[in-house]
Amino acid sequence: MSTVSKPVPHKFLEARIVSQRYSYSGNSVKSHFFLPYTNATTGRRSSSRREILLIYRGPIGGAAVPERKPLSVVHMASSNVDNKDDRISRISSSIRVIPDFPKPGIMFQDITTLLLDPKAFKDTIDLFVERYKDKNINVVAGVEARGFIFGPPIALAIGAKFVPMRKPKKLPGEVISEEYSLEYGTDKIEMHVGAVQPGERAVVVDDLIATGGTLTAAINLLERVGVEVVECACVIELPELKGRDRLGEKQLFVLVSST
Amino acid sequence: MFAAENGLRGDPRLKAISDALSVVPNFPKPGIMFQDITTLVSNHKVFKHTVDIFVDRYRDMGISVVAGVEARGFIFAPPIALAIGAKFIPLRKPGKLPGSIQMQPKSQFYQVDEIMNLCCPGEVISEAYELEYGNDCLEMHVGAVEQGERALIIDDLVATGGTLSAAIRLLEREGAEVVECACVIGLPEVKGRRLLDGKPLYVLVEPRQ
Repeated sequence: MSTVSKPVPHKFLEARIVSQRYSYSGNSVKSHFFLPYTNATTGRRSSSRREILLIYRGPIGGAAVPERKPLSVVHMASSNVDNKDDRISRISSSIRVIPDFPKPGIMFQDITTLLLDPKAFKDTIDLFVERYKDKNINVVAGVEARGFIFGPPIALAIGAKFVPMRKPKKLPGEVISEEYSLEYGTDKIEMHVGAVQPGERAVVVDDLIATGGTLTAAINLLERVGVEVVECACVIELPELKGRDRLGEKQLFVLVSST
Repeated sequence: MFAAENGLRGDPRLKAISDALSVVPNFPKPGIMFQDITTLVSNHKVFKHTVDIFVDRYRDMGISVVAGVEARGFIFAPPIALAIGAKFIPLRKPGKLPGSIQMQPKSQFYQVDEIMNLCCPGEVISEAYELEYGNDCLEMHVGAVEQGERALIIDDLVATGGTLSAAIRLLEREGAEVVECACVIGLPEVKGRRLLDGKPLYVLVEPRQ
């Protein structure tokens, strides 16, 4: 269930994308950029035809960089944690939404702004640490790359080892891997052989759960080597994508839920 | 400069850190002895020592920004940032930071010295750097740092310093003052060097044999 404590004006950054073919060093080059509108419109995303404007800073002069407009901050409801906790409110407000990234139609939940607020970042970690510190967790597994930002501070605070789970071919030495499906095609995550021991208790950490594909793959990897996955922990959940259902019996703990 | 030459000679933590590293031969290519930090972060006590050494060094330097280089820099930089009350800024490969558009076409149309700093307006800035073969790019969000902020750059390992140099340029372009670059491991190329691109370089240990 989502609740919003007070109305927050929503302004979405709209982008015009312009493509141009231009000549550089005798080669014909096509480039694309997105150029924010100088007047952000309220409450709707652009569905009009997009053009791409080239902004190129070259030997002939400087770029005309358009004035930046603030991106939207969508106030999100809390989930799993007491609504009255002001830490949640601050965390939630510090996350920004970037429309149409990485592709049109996707509203990307950007945690980099949370990381720019030392108190919000500390509160995020504290909330996870408070939950796990007395649960005898031996392993915090973090999924590349944003799981690497949240996992280690949690691991350090609760006395657990940090185990990175990576895209293929990044981990040196012997690895085990688990394939999972994407919207189109499949991907794989890998973990070092011997990183964990059978019987250890683990928490899997990522910044966000969407469909739950990546987290499910991470859980499978750990369970295949005899680890008990106690819970998955994410900063953000996108409940419409039903990741929680996909985890099935596995518990999921999130701080904010974005609808 | 190495930690042992800079106040930590004989500190048992440095030996523990060095012993916790693993070496993987011929990764990612033949002839490279890869310094693997995963065994270090898997050892809670030693991981904590690593972070503590950096935190003790930087806590009173008025640092408000800790930048970490993707992806292994993301493991070490956030704990340092949290402990000293600074913000954490991820420096990422092209196209990863939201708002970034990966440039098309790729660098085949440009020489390294002709790569202009193609600027994604309002969102992400990009800095190219050389690899052994070809080049790569590092990106940062515009507006993440403010003019005059004092910054630290963290990565797991420094070899030629190409990546760190690109990171320094990114932060300086946005008006930050880079106080120091810090890495867990420093390859022989940096032994005896105190500075990288005019910025102090601080390294905990040499590569494990």
